[in-house]
Amino acid sequence: MADSDSSEHAGDYVLYCDRENWKDLEPVPQDDGPHPIVQIAYSERFRDCYDYFRAILKKDERSERAFELTADAAALNPANYTVWHFRRILLKDLGKNLQDELDYITEVIHDHPKNYQVWHHRRVVVDWLRNASDEIDFTRLILTHDAKNYHAWQHRQWVLREFDLWDAELDYIDDLLEEDIRNNSAWNQRYYVISKTSKFTDEVIAREVSYTKEKINNVPNNESAWNYLRGVLLDTEMYKYSGLMTFCEELFSQSIRSPHLLAFMVDCYQEMLNAKCEDKEEVLAKALKLLKGLEEEYDTIRCEYWKYLSVTLSSKYAGKLEQSSS
Amino acid sequence: MAGPNRHEFNWKKHVRFFKMCLQVVPGRYASMDTTRMTVAFFAISGLDMLDQMDAIEKDRQKMVDWIYSLQYLPNAARSNEGQCGFRGSSTAGRPFDPKESSRNPVPHDSGHIAGTYSALLSLLILGDNLSKIDRPAIVAGLRKLQLSDGSFSATPEDGENDMRFVYCAACISYVLDDWSGIDRPKVIRYIKNSLTYEGAFAQGPGLEAHGGTTFCAVASLVLMGCLHEVISPSQLDRLKRWCLLRQQSGFQGRPNKPVDTCYSFWVGGTLQLLGVFNYSNNLFNRGFLEETEDSVVGGFAKWPDNSPDPLHAYFGVCGLSLMSEPGVLKMDAALNVSERSAARLRGIHSLWRDSADGGVPPLLPLEHTAFLKRCLMALPSAAATADASRSPPKHILDSYLILSSTGWLWLISVCVALIYSITWMF
Repeated sequence: MADSDSSEHAGDYVLYCDRENWKDLEPVPQDDGPHPIVQIAYSERFRDCYDYFRAILKKDERSERAFELTADAAALNPANYTVWHFRRILLKDLGKNLQDELDYITEVIHDHPKNYQVWHHRRVVVDWLRNASDEIDFTRLILTHDAKNYHAWQHRQWVLREFDLWDAELDYIDDLLEEDIRNNSAWNQRYYVISKTSKFTDEVIAREVSYTKEKINNVPNNESAWNYLRGVLLDTEMYKYSGLMTFCEELFSQSIRSPHLLAFMVDCYQEMLNAKCEDKEEVLAKALKLLKGLEEEYDTIRCEYWKYLSVTLSSKYAGKLEQSSS
Repeated sequence: MAGPNRHEFNWKKHVRFFKMCLQVVPGRYASMDTTRMTVAFFAISGLDMLDQMDAIEKDRQKMVDWIYSLQYLPNAARSNEGQCGFRGSSTAGRPFDPKESSRNPVPHDSGHIAGTYSALLSLLILGDNLSKIDRPAIVAGLRKLQLSDGSFSATPEDGENDMRFVYCAACISYVLDDWSGIDRPKVIRYIKNSLTYEGAFAQGPGLEAHGGTTFCAVASLVLMGCLHEVISPSQLDRLKRWCLLRQQSGFQGRPNKPVDTCYSFWVGGTLQLLGVFNYSNNLFNRGFLEETEDSVVGGFAKWPDNSPDPLHAYFGVCGLSLMSEPGVLKMDAALNVSERSAARLRGIHSLWRDSADGGVPPLLPLEHTAFLKRCLMALPSAAATADASRSPPKHILDSYLILSSTGWLWLISVCVALIYSITWMF
């Protein structure tokens, strides 16, 4: 990693202390006391710029030059929330063009896509503009580079909610899941969109279960899809859900041994035991057999957990421990 | 676990790395300019966790002074309490002298919730008795930061709000032993609303479940003492499962994402708070941390073959602490400090509570007389301590210093003389 200002040509940049139009202002050096800790070996440009930023702040100077300085200060440290806060005050006070500001922050976010402050700044500007026409495409572009960027998803959810832009979102998610079926953020977004629009009615649940089953059929060992399936059926007894147990058993009979499949089946069996099913012993034995498989063969990194579940299940549902676990 | 080929972590290098962080860091750390307090916390708590506070003994007071210099104190009329807390650094231009900065405040400068959290814990670890904290002001500052949805912002100026700051608010309230800065029903509602269909917690409602935010949510509930009231047994089962499934070798923060050093703490710590850390796999977890350790400059990196940084260095050590690695102290996961420091905090709390029970405001001499009375009652153990070190225990000295500075020297002198005369008799 290079110093924060090495990307610019040193020759093009004039230090604030050498600028004619800043001569009237006394720079304010950082006062860190006699024994500062976690000192940063600031570059000359950083120190100079922030000496003048402090001077501006101290005077609370609401001027064009102050506005320009905030861009330099933000370029040197985009995480400085005071710089962004002050810039927003200036945007308002000076009546700046907010569309220009949106273009500016677009560039900054492209350079720093994982920074909290820059995304917050964008959100405020979009909110002031009351115009989110660029936001869907912009977040799509950011997600093209990193489909799991949390900030981009957070911003996108706010935009959808605030400006009621839900219509094309499920199609977009389909595209993303086509590209990468393991994109957990896209699955989460799917859940979010449905819970905010059609809601999980019986019909929608049926559609989503069948959608997810298809995705699992293609890639059985995908935790994201299994988690989504459980989420869709959160208020339902999964074992009773039409065709679901059969679906799992078929996968199993095709020699699929994904830990997520096995764990899902265990959970269904546990539901049956909870519901005091008739063939209790048989169901318990099936569950324990799956757990043993997880423990010893299919998910050994979590062997202690699966062992613990076996013991819990046995002690909770029967005194049949000897018979079923041997 | 111990075997002939077991990797040994290079503690000396890690100590050096943390010490380096506390001194001067390179210009590429410029993006941490407003969060130097948090970097300091990582380094100080890291040294504490490695039981190497001696390494910074000679600078301890200077560090305490620097931290206190960043406290945003209220003005005489206390009309600006909403801005109080600790700044993360001096970059906005406050003068070093807190009284001076209270007289001439810099516009748009305030405390930052993460700065306050980091400062309080660092002071605690450094052995400070928190007596110079303006507790009512910090609590008033917190109150100002809570939003109508229950979450917290970081500063009273505008800025983002999410689960990270909920955790900071809970920690601050816990450390100050004062929960009046938080509307609990509201914050609990926010946490509950952030529980996702996956069974873990997100930054906020609707967002994706995440290892870091899950820790923040669970630890906040633990600190508030209401985890089991708020989260049902079946929800807890799912949460445990989700956390355990994050382990691949080390831990990942979300399904289908790469593993990363810091989640050995974020997820590992959550597992410990849920009482199921023992179901994770230490061999794999430790093995991953062996790969991210930088045995040349010290510290841990996010991923193997990357450069170390203070955050990952600290959480790497914390991850090892959770696995009871020899050479690393046990930690109080909810508070994110060593158990030793957490115990010190409880000692400070009992002093505060004693003074409150007696109807005496904090930091008046009476609390110390009550404390000294207790010391007299517990003379046998005090004598043992004194005998072992040939010097009075530190907390007795603290009380002595405060009392002597407030003109109660006569009383303390009598008490100390009494303690010592009896001690020497043994």
